[in-house]
Amino acid sequence: MNKLVAIIKREYIQKVRTKFFVIMTVLGPIMLMVFTIVPGLLIGMKTGGDTRIAILDQTEGTKLYDSIRKSLLNPESDDESRKQPGIAEAANSNSKDRMEQAGKSMTGSFRVEQVNPNGRTLDETKRDLNARIGRDELDGYLVIAPDVLNNPESKSSYYGRNVGDVFTRGQIEDRLNSSVRRQRLIAQGVKDQDVDALSEPVDLATYPVNEKGEEGAEDSGAGFVMVFIIAFLIYMTVLLYGQVVLGAIIEEKETRIAEILFSSVRPFQIMFGKLIGVSLMALTQLMIWGLAFAAIALYVVPAMAARGFEDINLPHLPPFFAIYFVLFFLLGYFMYATLYVLVGSMVTTAQEGGQMAMPVIFLLMAGLYLAFAVIRAPNSSFAFWVSMVPFFAPIIMMVRIVSQTPPFWQIALSFVIGIATVALLLWLASRIYRIGMLMYGKKATIPEVMRWVRQT
Amino acid sequence: MDKDSATVVLEHVTKSFGEFTAVSDLSLAVRAGRIYGLLGPNGAGKTTTIRMIVNITAPDSGRISVFGQQITPELQNRIGYLPEERGLYKKMKVGDQLKFFAELKSVPGKEAEKRADRWLARLKLTEWKGKKSSELSKGMQQKVQFITTVIHEPDLLILDEPFSGLDPVNVELLKEIILELKTSGKTIIFSTHQMEVAEKICDDICLINRSRKVLEGSIREVKRSFSRNAVALRLAGDESVLEDHSLVSKVQRHSDGIEALLAEGATPQMLLKELLAAGTIIERFEMIEPSLHDIFIEKVTESV
Repeated sequence: MNKLVAIIKREYIQKVRTKFFVIMTVLGPIMLMVFTIVPGLLIGMKTGGDTRIAILDQTEGTKLYDSIRKSLLNPESDDESRKQPGIAEAANSNSKDRMEQAGKSMTGSFRVEQVNPNGRTLDETKRDLNARIGRDELDGYLVIAPDVLNNPESKSSYYGRNVGDVFTRGQIEDRLNSSVRRQRLIAQGVKDQDVDALSEPVDLATYPVNEKGEEGAEDSGAGFVMVFIIAFLIYMTVLLYGQVVLGAIIEEKETRIAEILFSSVRPFQIMFGKLIGVSLMALTQLMIWGLAFAAIALYVVPAMAARGFEDINLPHLPPFFAIYFVLFFLLGYFMYATLYVLVGSMVTTAQEGGQMAMPVIFLLMAGLYLAFAVIRAPNSSFAFWVSMVPFFAPIIMMVRIVSQTPPFWQIALSFVIGIATVALLLWLASRIYRIGMLMYGKKATIPEVMRWVRQT
Repeated sequence: MDKDSATVVLEHVTKSFGEFTAVSDLSLAVRAGRIYGLLGPNGAGKTTTIRMIVNITAPDSGRISVFGQQITPELQNRIGYLPEERGLYKKMKVGDQLKFFAELKSVPGKEAEKRADRWLARLKLTEWKGKKSSELSKGMQQKVQFITTVIHEPDLLILDEPFSGLDPVNVELLKEIILELKTSGKTIIFSTHQMEVAEKICDDICLINRSRKVLEGSIREVKRSFSRNAVALRLAGDESVLEDHSLVSKVQRHSDGIEALLAEGATPQMLLKELLAAGTIIERFEMIEPSLHDIFIEKVTESV
């Protein structure tokens, strides 16, 4: 027992002292922020100046030009597309302002001009406009069909140098649609000022009902987002520390210390001690991050609220979710950590280990993707069976608990299956480890590994 | 050999890996307080034998006892093993490393530190205590590895090629320490294929070839049984005695002397008496013993 403690202690202290630990502890949260926020900003970012658009309105009396121009230049007004709640918005029902903030930065601004055919044919006008695009005087132009208001089959077109810019394209389409709709309504005799009131979308609130028939509080979709935060957290943790576990298990083989250790300690103690040592390091790091996050939540949120950012509210979930989360998170971590131990026990170098670990990552990703299927029908028999598969259970069971909590026996069963699998994997790995350790520089084949397992 | 005073006893031990038999029907006894040389060419089964003694692998059949008992994890604390495949944690400081290995042998931390300091001083490594082992030269690393083998003061020391890679000065230093440990009553198993080294420090030897024991006994006995009854001579003056065929059957002249193979029934004493009687000046007169090297070569090539 003391020997096991010595191994755990050594592994922990050595790992905590590494540059990996220090740098990751500091940079981890920053990197997480960078990786989650920056791609969003980059995708939405419009570099360069305003988008120069020309509009050729062929409708009678050019009824549409003014309305499109107005909405393109002033995106705050009558933009119906914004009022449709998306997933991200559901995460925080008060975040509409922020969404619009993002919307503005995503679309950039426009410069709009009207094209007057002056008696030229459409082809001539277009040739002229194409030439201007070629000279980089114009980014694109919109040709509105003359019968767009009364013929649903009519086709308007957008020509531009960069049609790959889906955001601009989408925006122009949106504005054209709403302007056309408005004109059609007016043509049907609706008063101009009534159009806005008529286009107002419905506000749909969602309430959960549990198996006892009780209604819950309004669900703004926080649970749905929570599910993916949890799934992602398990996924990231495994990706981050799996490699460390793998490296630790191979360390004694690469440094040829195995034989000295084996003459003092049982192989299982070494392997288990190293797994626990690395895991404690991982938990230390996660706890530092967790505390840092909590500190931010406790101090920064009220501070921001005081300055007028009242719309930041964290999704709140019942406390038993937290207990389940810790349990299934640990189960998930150890499930995959032992898989990495198993891989580490079979290979002789870290490089080989990286290749052999690929199936483990596929397994993990499969769990993540299955979560999407399960969340749409969390109590289907498909969801049940998937949540009983030990390698998927940590993510899938958590998805089910958060979305539509299954009966306790199902949660308990999937947890017990998971624990049993971890124990089985450890046992298997220790047998392979013991023999594989002494085979320096020789990669084991699968039949060889099978033989090692059978050997006593 | 008396099995009761033996530290390690192997009885009819066999170990195979699949088709390959690494050790077959091996019996041997290592007497307490002596240096026992486990000799043999590469791949003879030395390392497998040692691994079974230190309980890393188990024999397929046969019995092994250490200190008169079946090996247990507790007994492992009384054994110090320096394997041929050895290394150190690259990024760990030498001092921490020694403490860790001592703790694995159940030496308490404080005591381990004291002993580590003593051994580092003895092996002239004190100033390297705070350095990472990756900063050490290979020879220094090897000395650190040696300390990890002895820091828990084991009663049985097993050293597999302890001198490979060391310079002559350090070889002497280590040899001196090994002999000291023997004097203080430790039993030492010494595995090597370097016969010159074995010849100098072993009391008993066991020669293994192709998984089988070829020869066992004290160095004296082994050498005597291989004695070829020859004498090395350097003479001046009358050498006619050497032509007496009842005394000398064959004479070989080298640049610095003569090798005389004695005839059947003749003894070195008889030859010496005749030489003195003839008034020959004797500068050198020495029984030629076969070196362990010769015996090794002879035995190994014979059993092929």
